[in-house]
Amino acid sequence: MAAADVEAVDFEPEEDDLMDEDGAVDVETSPRAPLPKLKSAITGGSSSFSAPKKTKGRGFREETDAERNSRFAANNFDSLDSDGGPGPQRSIEGWIILVTGVHEEAQEDDLQNTFGEFGEVKNLHLNLDRRTGFVKGYALIEYENFEEAQAAISAINGTELLTQTIYVDWAFSNGPFKRRNMRRRSPRGHRSRSPRRRY
Amino acid sequence: MAAEDNGEFYLRYYVGHKGKFGHEFLEFEFRPDGKLRYANNSNYKNDTMIRKEVFLTPAVLKECRRIIAESEIMKEDDNNWPEPDRVGRQELEIVMGNEHISFTTSKIGSLVDVQSSKDPEGLRIFYYLVQDLKCFVFSLISLHFKIKPI
Repeated sequence: MAAADVEAVDFEPEEDDLMDEDGAVDVETSPRAPLPKLKSAITGGSSSFSAPKKTKGRGFREETDAERNSRFAANNFDSLDSDGGPGPQRSIEGWIILVTGVHEEAQEDDLQNTFGEFGEVKNLHLNLDRRTGFVKGYALIEYENFEEAQAAISAINGTELLTQTIYVDWAFSNGPFKRRNMRRRSPRGHRSRSPRRRY
Repeated sequence: MAAEDNGEFYLRYYVGHKGKFGHEFLEFEFRPDGKLRYANNSNYKNDTMIRKEVFLTPAVLKECRRIIAESEIMKEDDNNWPEPDRVGRQELEIVMGNEHISFTTSKIGSLVDVQSSKDPEGLRIFYYLVQDLKCFVFSLISLHFKIKPI
């Protein structure tokens, strides 16, 4: 991947540390004049991207609703605890994998037959395209154990289902960064420095 | 297509209205760092806001981009779509590749509203894309957070 692409999707921890235990960090970024601003309510402000964009739509011409920006400034979104380290994250009762490239005429049974081999399928979502009624192209499958899910990923990723190649991977992750001890700040936190020694 | 796989990606969808039960809305957001945030608010019978967030893997983001690219929503424009009104409002904001769209319109009750608008083709694309995105997000959120009843 070109360096520019990597930069473009880079996560900026300082300005967007929503899991920060020490409190909310405002997401206003430095103004970079002519770039289009996102009016994201959930972000609680506006943030801009690194490269200039072609913009389109009424949303750019409207006044930003002040209430909208403050509505989601709060950081109290529920999430599941991470057991530390990067990598896939366990969901509430099991491990979820995403299958893509699913043939539009696939049926739940086809997926059950393929994926049932690695463990009991606790949950299966094979969503349909709302316009055509055919399978949209992805499926979400839950196994109870990490090992079952990992085995399914390793065995089935890149193989064929109904003459079409499917791809299998984890759906949820702990986050883009490995957090040392799951905290970003040192345990000293907000303690002030000791007074300087006076000689 | 390069825009699907490379470059920045952000998506936000909002639908809501203000009325007897306060500001009732649904909003979700796919952020560039992979975080999916979901919020659903109503004061109906003194209900409170539901807020969930989870990090998605690159595989999930890629599938979301594919759904968007396939819909061709990025080629549309909202200037002939109905304006938001008292009944409600929808917002769809997407950054993909070097394009950034930010569409707003009223709520759409059914295909009849689409057909009778000034841009039925474009609005239809929006109408179905929103349904497909909701399906995707509701599946992700419910699978990750919801305990199965016995």
